[in-house]
Amino acid sequence: MALPPPDPQFVLRGTSAAVHTLHFSCGGQEPDVPTLFSGSENGFIHVWNLKTHRVNTELDGHGRKSVYCVETIGSKNRLLSQGRDQRICLWDLAEGRTSVTDSVFTENVGFCRCSLLKVAQGRWLVAMAAKALEEVQVLELPSKTSVCTLKPEVGAKLGMPMCLKLWQLNCGSQPLLLAGYEDGSVVLWNLSMGKVLSQLVCHQEPVMSLDFDSEKAKGISGSSEKVLSIWSLNEQQNLQVYKTHKLVNAGISDITIRPDKKILATAGWDHRIRIFGWKKLKPLAVLNYHTATVHCVSFSDHKNPSERLLAAGSKDHRISIWSIYTQT
Amino acid sequence: MAVFDTPQEAFGALRPACVQLTRAQTMENVARLQAHLAAVSASALQELQEYVLFPLRFALKVPGPKQERLVQSVVQCISSVLAATCVKKQDLLQELFSELCTCLSPPSSSSNPVPLSEELKLAVIQALHTLMHSAYGDVIWSLYQPSALPLLGFAVSLLLGLAEQEKAKQIKISALKCLQVLVLQCDCQEHRHLDEDEAQQCGDLFASFLPGISITLSRVITGDIKQGHKSTVSAIRLFYLIVGLVMADAQLARIAKNKEKLPVEESRISELMVHRGPDWSKSTAEKLSLLLRKMVEFSSVHPHWKVRLELMELVHHLLRNCSQSLVDSFSHLLKALVGLVNDENSEVQSRCKEVLQGIAEQRIVAQNRALADVLSENLHSLATALPRLMNSLDDTGKVSTLSLLLGYLKLLGPKINIVLNSISHLHRLSKALMQVLELDVTDVKIVEDRRCEGVCGPSGSLQHGAQKGRCQKKYFRFFTEEKIFQLLQQVCRVLGYYGNLYLLVDHFMGLYGESGMYRKQAAMVLNELIAGAAGVGVDVLQEREVSLNVDDLKGSIMSILDEYTDQANWYLITSIDTEEISHEHSVQHSGLTARPGGACSSVLLPSPEPHITTRTMNSNIWQICIQLEGVGCFAAVLGKEFRLLLLSALYPVLEKAGDKTLLISETALGTLVDICKACSYDSLQCLINENSDYLVNGISLNLRQLAHQPHASQVLDTMLRHSDASLLPLVEDVIQDVLSALDQSYNNQASTFLRVLHSVMTALVRWFESSCGEEHQQRQTPEWWSGTLSQGQQVVTRQEVEQFFLDYVRQKQIAEGNLPDTGDEEADEVLPLAEPEPNNSDTEGETPLPSHAQLAKDVMERCIHLLSDGNLRVRLKVLDVLELCVTALHPHGNHLLPMAHRVWPALVTRLISDDPLAVLRAFKVLCTLAQKCGDFLRQRFSKDVLPKLTSSLLSQAPASARAGPVYNHTLAFKLQLAVLQGLGSLCEKLDMGESDLNKVADACLIYLSAKQPMKLQEAAQSVFLHLMHVDPDSTWLLLNEVCCPHQYEPPHISLRPVKLSGMGRQRNEFTDNVLLLLEKLQQQESVMQQESVMPQAGTQEASPP
Repeated sequence: MALPPPDPQFVLRGTSAAVHTLHFSCGGQEPDVPTLFSGSENGFIHVWNLKTHRVNTELDGHGRKSVYCVETIGSKNRLLSQGRDQRICLWDLAEGRTSVTDSVFTENVGFCRCSLLKVAQGRWLVAMAAKALEEVQVLELPSKTSVCTLKPEVGAKLGMPMCLKLWQLNCGSQPLLLAGYEDGSVVLWNLSMGKVLSQLVCHQEPVMSLDFDSEKAKGISGSSEKVLSIWSLNEQQNLQVYKTHKLVNAGISDITIRPDKKILATAGWDHRIRIFGWKKLKPLAVLNYHTATVHCVSFSDHKNPSERLLAAGSKDHRISIWSIYTQT
Repeated sequence: MAVFDTPQEAFGALRPACVQLTRAQTMENVARLQAHLAAVSASALQELQEYVLFPLRFALKVPGPKQERLVQSVVQCISSVLAATCVKKQDLLQELFSELCTCLSPPSSSSNPVPLSEELKLAVIQALHTLMHSAYGDVIWSLYQPSALPLLGFAVSLLLGLAEQEKAKQIKISALKCLQVLVLQCDCQEHRHLDEDEAQQCGDLFASFLPGISITLSRVITGDIKQGHKSTVSAIRLFYLIVGLVMADAQLARIAKNKEKLPVEESRISELMVHRGPDWSKSTAEKLSLLLRKMVEFSSVHPHWKVRLELMELVHHLLRNCSQSLVDSFSHLLKALVGLVNDENSEVQSRCKEVLQGIAEQRIVAQNRALADVLSENLHSLATALPRLMNSLDDTGKVSTLSLLLGYLKLLGPKINIVLNSISHLHRLSKALMQVLELDVTDVKIVEDRRCEGVCGPSGSLQHGAQKGRCQKKYFRFFTEEKIFQLLQQVCRVLGYYGNLYLLVDHFMGLYGESGMYRKQAAMVLNELIAGAAGVGVDVLQEREVSLNVDDLKGSIMSILDEYTDQANWYLITSIDTEEISHEHSVQHSGLTARPGGACSSVLLPSPEPHITTRTMNSNIWQICIQLEGVGCFAAVLGKEFRLLLLSALYPVLEKAGDKTLLISETALGTLVDICKACSYDSLQCLINENSDYLVNGISLNLRQLAHQPHASQVLDTMLRHSDASLLPLVEDVIQDVLSALDQSYNNQASTFLRVLHSVMTALVRWFESSCGEEHQQRQTPEWWSGTLSQGQQVVTRQEVEQFFLDYVRQKQIAEGNLPDTGDEEADEVLPLAEPEPNNSDTEGETPLPSHAQLAKDVMERCIHLLSDGNLRVRLKVLDVLELCVTALHPHGNHLLPMAHRVWPALVTRLISDDPLAVLRAFKVLCTLAQKCGDFLRQRFSKDVLPKLTSSLLSQAPASARAGPVYNHTLAFKLQLAVLQGLGSLCEKLDMGESDLNKVADACLIYLSAKQPMKLQEAAQSVFLHLMHVDPDSTWLLLNEVCCPHQYEPPHISLRPVKLSGMGRQRNEFTDNVLLLLEKLQQQESVMQQESVMPQAGTQEASPP
């Protein structure tokens, strides 16, 4: 018989606003405490100490406008955050500092999370929705030089980009961008040529979130409908629908594949977190704790697999931490 | 007397006496010489030493029987010469020595020797003593050559004989002293210290005498106690000195394997000499061991303390010098030494501690494996015997046995690990501790004592509880004295201090898990082990070798904590309260873990016992308490480091602080205070507030599990109880969780949640009391004001009577429908009443409700649903909560009134058709509600409730009038009383109309009867007193209808005479009470009259124009 779904291992409270984004940084060695970054609607980024389960520092850099993306750049002392104040901030957190070292003015009014990819030592690419409604801009960090601007063809009517995923097959190969658009299509972009490689209509509604597994060349996207769409990329760089999965309740705000590519988690508008096996999309568990829409899910990067955690941030101001399927 | 300083003068003076003595050996001559000697200076006498000694020695040597007294005086004379001079010649020394010895030995010829007189013996012994002291440094050495062995042996045997056989104490002691000098171990300072070679030589020499000396001395020591302690003390001292010399490890180590060949001429002598080879020393040690054992056994219980003190010196001396050669004897010696730690004599005690300290400091045990083995062997046998001893001995015996155990452990010090590493040793020791520490769990009171909820205030109860929790005494099966427990505590702490912590913790955790029998004891031991390991309150003789690693300690503590707070060990059945049991069982059955730490562990579920005895529960209570104490102890040990563990430890402790069993909750409070102190929080409140995130997390997660809901609610309860309003924002979130959990399980968990709601509301009312109170007064003031105003108008002046009638006429016209044109007067009346109202309602309507009031409202909402619960207890509880809600919500009338409206139907049902208990409680709620809502309820009250109340009062009245004193204890009585007590103020608060007031008055009137129980009469009086406030006139009339004491003369003839039905009545059952009430009414009126002058001036100032 199946075990009942577990309870959260811990619940972090105290953001006093809806949580929009989460990012773990737990890969460090012993004296380094595992850390979780959370960005919330009131513009604060909280740095959680996962040993004491308390906020270490509170970062205020987006003028009290909602923060919807937080990423670390290399180490946990360098942080990238994106907020509704149309800025991407770069933070220096080393030795207790809490200063914004640099910022990029995106001029984008949407809430499309930017995507970060390390292309070489000390060199990152960041893709973000640009000022013009349908465009995506790719910058190189830390120099902030523009790599390319991806414009859909005239008359494509894709709408705004909703979610982005930069990836490369292996280190040194050509970076590619997957973007989900307002009209429900997922587009694969070639960055160097600035051209669409493939386009696939996955949903009837805007694509809210997508994640891609470059090893299996398979990706998954969720939208505001009741469907999860799994698609694959063939050798000719063509996107094809692989499978769709019906959900009970509509609306997926975030999808994350665990780094070991075994399971994935979705954040639902129905207050629930769902866990699926990645291989066959077998539903594994429904985690029921939150009392409002779950905005984001994130897996930790602990070195030791048994310590790995899942975190989910919700509109109910709480972040739930789960320990699930760590044995498999 | 002239002193002769020069030898010439001295010679002149002494010569005649010497010559004379040579000629005739008489007492007189000896005495003369003696007298002359006194006048000669020491330096002069030195020159003449041999000259003077000659006649004396001659006197001794003269053949034939001699007079004993003469010999005695001669010997005394010799010793006085020797005392003043030095012997510088070897020959002289040896000769004198042998001559003196001869004096002691009876003449060999005679077959049955006449015993020598005691004086003579004493004199000779003293002379020998003096001789030994007067011998010059190297000269004396000639006595200790192998060639002098026979002579020496002779002297030794003589003296031993005297020491053993003489009756006179003086001789015994002198003989022993003399022997001590003879073996070159004199106490006085004059002697040259023996160097190593010399000591070795002496050792060789004395080895020959060792058997004789030791056996004789042991006989002396174990001899009749009547011989006095001094000789025993001397014998003991001599014994250890000689044994210490001959058996010294340092000397034996230098002995060659084989006996060296001596020159031929000395071969006879060499036969007498002993070779102290390994064989010899082994066999000697064996023999000595027997002697020592006998001696130790005898003298360790010797009545005189000096003997015991000397015994300690013996142990000390031998341990220092012969720890290897005499290793077999040490089991007895150390036992004696350690046993003396608690000697009744303080000097012995302190010396014993010194000695032990010395032993420890010199690391005698630590460096000597063999000795450690001996100790551990002793320990093993003691541990084996311990349970039996603890069972059979009296308290003093137990104390000494345990101090022995403790002493062994302390002496072993860092070597304890040798013992611990042996499985059988550890097993024995731990089992012994387990058996000795067994608690007495027969006390029923512990199970019976319940925490009284809400009686004592938060801060007071904390102090009180913490103190009580701390000094909570445990009752043990095998002993009662506190001192014994302290010793056991020390035993565990010393173990923890020196022992391998991982090993010990592991072992005792094993015992903890092994059997319920050992669990409490093992937990106790574990707590003490940790304290000891941290060096808290441990009394040791030496520092441990490796200081403690904090991480190790923390690791051990964490594993113990995990075990303690594991479900199987933390949620034990401690009461037969049905609801609790069902919860506990469900916890055990569920097998689901939802702990704040979240770590899932496979639980060994104990099979639920079908029948739970008081004993089991008592035992469970103690186990929880011991575990709680442990948590406190761990906190104290870790100090601020413990803050990190609060994440998992604080929640369970708070859970227990909310336990219903008094002992547990008090112990938990004590633990909380310990934690506060250790983690340096200022107060319990700080601790709770600063860690509320951990607690809230635990509560919210546990609320998700049905089985854990009661615990979660206990934690919340405790938090609220011990904190203040600043906690509210932190827990608001979780209170909402509680409410939503309640919403999901109205059926089965209602009572659990009601407890939480009750504590939430109590806390809210307490925290926001001041604000409730202020608003209350603000509201009350105008009412009171207007009341006095209206009453002020009642003062009967002629104009006012006229005004009254005019008003009356006008009112009557209005009532009949004839509306007069609106005049100024009406406006005047309305204004002051209308003024305060809009103020209140306007502001409240707009501002959002403060969070606490919002909570009260939410809770009240739930109460409405629960008021009709099937379970009476639930209903009663709901009514309590409801009352609190009303109080909390009171300042916010705009929210209270709609809620009151919604509550009303359910409340009325409780009032009208429910169990009397519920009616009683509901009536109280009604009173509170009336107080807060005022006239809002008037209509409903008079329609829905009042008829029922008055009719029940009326119907019950005959019963209570007839009833005897037992009636006072019935529910019906309580109900009557409550209604009567509340009804008056209800009428006043609700501003009831006239007809209702009449109903009330009618119903209450019968209770003024003297036949009613006193309390009911008083309560009925109170009703009338309230009625007097509302409507004095009609009350007056009503009372006078019953009984009228006065005749009222009309002021004018044109008026008809007043005729009241109560006039002229016979004295009846109502008379007393009515008269009393009328008198009060009279007083009230007169007070009113006086006041009416002053406040009217005042009101004019106060009231706005």
